[in-house]
Amino acid sequence: MKTVVKSKISALLDEIAKEFNLLVPTAGDGASKFAPYTSGGQVSLDGRTLLPPKDVFFPQTEKMYKFSTDGMAGSLETLLEAPKHQMLFGVRPCDVKSIHELDHVFLTKGFVDEFYQSKRDRTFLVSIGCNGPAEPTCFCQSMGVNPQESDAVDVHLFDLGSEYGAVAKSENGEAFLQKYASFFNEAEVQLPAISEFALKPDVEGITEKLQQMFDHPLWEEVSRKCLGCGACTYLCPTCHCFDISGRVAGNQGFKFRCWDSCMFSEYTRMAGGHNPRPSKKERVRNRFLHKLQYFPERYGDLLCTGCGRCLSKCPVNMDITNIIKQIREVELA
Amino acid sequence: MITEKIRAAAKELLEKGEVETVIGWERGTFWYNSTPVFISKPEQADRLVFDDFCANNLAKYLLDYRNADGKIAVFVKGCDARAITRLIQDNQVKREKVYLIGIPCTGMKEAPKTVSSQDVAGLPLLAKCQSCATPNPVIYDILLGDPVPQKEVGNRFAGVEALEAKGADEKYEHWGKLFSECIRCYACRNVCPACNCRECAFDANGLNWLGKQNNLQENQMFNMTRAMHVAGRCIECGECERVCPMGLPLMDINRKIIKDLNELFGSYDAGLNLEDRPPLGQYKLDDPEKFM
Repeated sequence: MKTVVKSKISALLDEIAKEFNLLVPTAGDGASKFAPYTSGGQVSLDGRTLLPPKDVFFPQTEKMYKFSTDGMAGSLETLLEAPKHQMLFGVRPCDVKSIHELDHVFLTKGFVDEFYQSKRDRTFLVSIGCNGPAEPTCFCQSMGVNPQESDAVDVHLFDLGSEYGAVAKSENGEAFLQKYASFFNEAEVQLPAISEFALKPDVEGITEKLQQMFDHPLWEEVSRKCLGCGACTYLCPTCHCFDISGRVAGNQGFKFRCWDSCMFSEYTRMAGGHNPRPSKKERVRNRFLHKLQYFPERYGDLLCTGCGRCLSKCPVNMDITNIIKQIREVELA
Repeated sequence: MITEKIRAAAKELLEKGEVETVIGWERGTFWYNSTPVFISKPEQADRLVFDDFCANNLAKYLLDYRNADGKIAVFVKGCDARAITRLIQDNQVKREKVYLIGIPCTGMKEAPKTVSSQDVAGLPLLAKCQSCATPNPVIYDILLGDPVPQKEVGNRFAGVEALEAKGADEKYEHWGKLFSECIRCYACRNVCPACNCRECAFDANGLNWLGKQNNLQENQMFNMTRAMHVAGRCIECGECERVCPMGLPLMDINRKIIKDLNELFGSYDAGLNLEDRPPLGQYKLDDPEKFM
């Protein structure tokens, strides 16, 4: 396997930044997130970022179209950014999985979202594996993610302690490793053992079980402490609901989309005022059914990658692993 | 042990049928997560705990029980009790419909870095508890445990004074940088016991007081309006700042407003008793007119 010592990474990133618009995990004075690389700046390759990388492809606010009128004439323009070659460096396997789920939503089933696609297509992915839980709240292994290795990327880096072991996962990845070959050595490597995760929710058969639990009293019980904020959904790497809105001033305006959250009371409110999800019971139920039943039914994957962000930041410790456990303990008549 | 006392108190209230629900805390995911719990059967009382991690202010949940038939029992620390006093003053909660079980509190702790270390004594107090002026409940039906001494907290406006000393551009840069980080999850609003509008202006479609775009302009509008709207009603429980996933120093804004109110209307601490009304919730002939 090709290996690169960790002390050479900043020199490698300096070189990459000459070719790519490079995004790296940073831990500055605010929350840790993926941000443009600056030489000598804060790069944090240990652990996962607080903010997931989803906004790289699906920004929290994104202008889509602008329009104007001139008498009876009008014009409409799609605001697609010119493709720039960018690299997302240091994505953890849980977040790689989340990008795979977002691809399902935005690129399959007969509709391609051009705003998502234009950013997704131009992004070169480099993942870094974990040799165990990065945070106590991690549970990716139970959600079908291999914490040590990602395949749906261009290059994967194994964490070997003082060095990374690099494997190309695509043709672009092969070319990349050749181009930067001077940074790498060839060595026999032994992958470290994966340390034990504290949280191990068992999701075997959960979708089938939930298909019979829409009206179960469990939802009333587990939703009581929920405050109805959107911290879980906005920190979630897979949550992807959005709302389209617009601004008009004079004879011109624009349409934009922005993240929305199924936990918000007005999320399902219809014109006329009716709300089919009037209380937190229905909202919490929808969030978990979407993750564990509806999404698997449509795409064959759970809409949770076990990154643990919702659990670590929820003001009231709403714990998806505990809810999964409670669902399993329910005895259906 | 305080946990045994709270379990016994909850059990007795439920067995005698004096209350229909008890709101307290139970063990959450890890040993350092204590989380709100709602108990309605005596045999569930053993789920209750009181430890160094019961940071959640439970007063907010009383809004979910506004139309309950029976009484609701709530465990209250000093801050929780002040929040409930405010809710009673705002006619959101009827005093006779709640049974308050007071617990003197020496402050809650930060979560540790790892699950394995169980050194509770070595953990720092939460920021919100370091400046606590009311460790003992100000209103209760029964008090479990002995009142704890009030510790010296120093000048709680020191941070505000440091910000006031900055120039206008410097202030704008300071807050602009922070508000740019806001993800508008509204955790600060939703956890706040002073935020008790039936429908928040920010949730009301069609009013368009706040746009949905996440940008500095809208984020400022949200954050400043939230703070201004709890002016005179903030009981300084610090929950907004504790729950902010982005770690924004929201108590700096709340304290700035409290300081201004004190200077305009005389010293006032919200929720200390049922008699003193908030300065903006009453009218006096000699109210200052500086802003007119």
